[in-house]
Amino acid sequence: MSFDHAIGESKRGVAVVEPSFEIFDHTADAGIRVRAATLPGLIEPATRGLYAVIGELAETGEEESARFEQTGSDATELLRDYLAGILLLFERDHRKASTLETPVFDDGRLAVVYRTRSVDSEKSVYYREVKAVTYHELAIRPIPGGYEATVIVDI
Amino acid sequence: MSEKYTGPLERVDETRWRIPRSYKAGMRVDGLIYADEALVAAIKEDKSPEQVANVATLPGIVKYSLAMPDIHWGYGFCIGGVAATDPEQGGVISPGGVGYDINCGVRLLRSTLTVDDVQPRLKQLVDRLFETIPCGVGKGGVVKFARKELAALMEQGSRFVVSRGFGWDSDLEATEAHGCIPKARPDLVSDTAYDRGVDQCGTLGSGNHFLEVQFVDHVDDEKAAKALGLEKGTITVMIHSGSRGLGYQVCEDSLKDLRDVPRKYGIELPDKQLVCAPVHSSEGQRYLGAMRAAANFAWCNRQVMTHLAREVFADVFEKPAERMGMHLVYDVAHNIAKMEPYEVDGQERELCVHRKGATRAFPPGHAELADRYRPLGQPVLVPGDMGRFSYVLIGQPGSMEHTFGSSCHGAGRRLSRGAAIRASKGRSIAKELLARGVIARARGRTGLEEEQPDAYKDVINVVDVLHTAGISRKVARLKPIGVIKG
Repeated sequence: MSFDHAIGESKRGVAVVEPSFEIFDHTADAGIRVRAATLPGLIEPATRGLYAVIGELAETGEEESARFEQTGSDATELLRDYLAGILLLFERDHRKASTLETPVFDDGRLAVVYRTRSVDSEKSVYYREVKAVTYHELAIRPIPGGYEATVIVDI
Repeated sequence: MSEKYTGPLERVDETRWRIPRSYKAGMRVDGLIYADEALVAAIKEDKSPEQVANVATLPGIVKYSLAMPDIHWGYGFCIGGVAATDPEQGGVISPGGVGYDINCGVRLLRSTLTVDDVQPRLKQLVDRLFETIPCGVGKGGVVKFARKELAALMEQGSRFVVSRGFGWDSDLEATEAHGCIPKARPDLVSDTAYDRGVDQCGTLGSGNHFLEVQFVDHVDDEKAAKALGLEKGTITVMIHSGSRGLGYQVCEDSLKDLRDVPRKYGIELPDKQLVCAPVHSSEGQRYLGAMRAAANFAWCNRQVMTHLAREVFADVFEKPAERMGMHLVYDVAHNIAKMEPYEVDGQERELCVHRKGATRAFPPGHAELADRYRPLGQPVLVPGDMGRFSYVLIGQPGSMEHTFGSSCHGAGRRLSRGAAIRASKGRSIAKELLARGVIARARGRTGLEEEQPDAYKDVINVVDVLHTAGISRKVARLKPIGVIKG
């Protein structure tokens, strides 16, 4: 999985993938499929996808800055661990992440800098409780113009 | 979405289907699925039988990798999976064989109220239950425990909250393991898990968790129903919930801790989600200790909600819950791993029994049952769906012989959440339930749609298989009239 692959594709005239996510059916739970032109580009739509499973989360209050940084041997597990951290931020601290910057994401390291605000429970619409971000069908693969990741969350 | 299963399923008899160990490299035992012909056709629609075959590769697995008739796709283990491993033979413990929601389970309260007593105030009752029992995303409980109290709660189980006024002493005897698995290790539960648990004891959660007001619609076994206090036409209350964020975090932490452990012990796994450790290893013991602590939290969770439900009934019907006979029939875990003695090849061995979406079903005479249940056998509570029925069964001797004392846990999903929502377009599930005589209240916007009756298989098909197989016998059928969901 390389950053160079995506650059190569854009040079050959393949449309570079716009960052996006979709929620797909998965038995008793929910799947999130994420696309972006680069590996770091996957982080922002993956975050939005997780929140979309939970509901429509309104924010309130002061912004605080935060950072997620982890090293590892597997980009898929780094992505999963990051999303598990975002879920914990919501479940334990009732805060939502936004304004994400991902300076590094490769097979060995993921660093994300973001802002957080409190979730406004009065104005939020909740769909379902996400218990966990699982390891099931966890994958990141190159596609023409970028990358695609799949993550399954336990409802 | 999962593909279909195309491997072998050899019919053993009218209720059992075998996956031979020759099917897949590494299988140490056969797989055995309890189902009838009709259920088998549906079972092959996803790859859950493949998961049964994968579990059969676990070190130390004894006799069979089993699945109950409500089998469907899970993480590592299928839902409905049962597997016993022998620690003395290098047997492993796997968090995938328990699930994220450690000790998700069900309890049932009975009463002397009848449908005629409740119907005139049913809407008020359901509304009050909905207001009083915290449910849904982000809903904290009415009870908060300091860290030291949480640690004591996880060590003592239900006894801790009952001693603080959240229930009756008699509730303990009517709870599996008396509401406490010994040798729990709250010291092995992470700070993050504590943080998530601090205000979640006594909360329902969301998804397929529910509190249901029901009535005894049909009695199959008059003697057993009478012994359990389940008279036809009387009102019952069923609560389905688990260990909440604390338990999910214990599983999350354990899966991370165990990531590289199979390699350390030379264990090859066909599926990363079967991550495991030998029971006798330090890693295995750490998971077991933390899991027990989370399981004890779950029993306290259901116990506090029991107390809250009794208070609501007392308020609505203007008499104490004791005078309405609101006793606990039983409480069962259906996501758990427990050390239990079984006879294997003529020798008694202490096995690690994983039940992932499966319920303990001890027969009459079992030493672990409280005195009042020992002559009868252990009640097995099987929720169906909120439109049709739930069931009360009794454990039979066949369970000890064939399924490591286990039975089914529910109906099993038929439709994915997305498919259920699409099928709801243009419909009001709440109105449809009302037409069936069920008042439903849900906090989540998509809760009723995702959990509608059509999303589930018919529980009668599931319980009939195990009744025929001599695993658990039907006692009574319960029909919902009110339900609250997160």
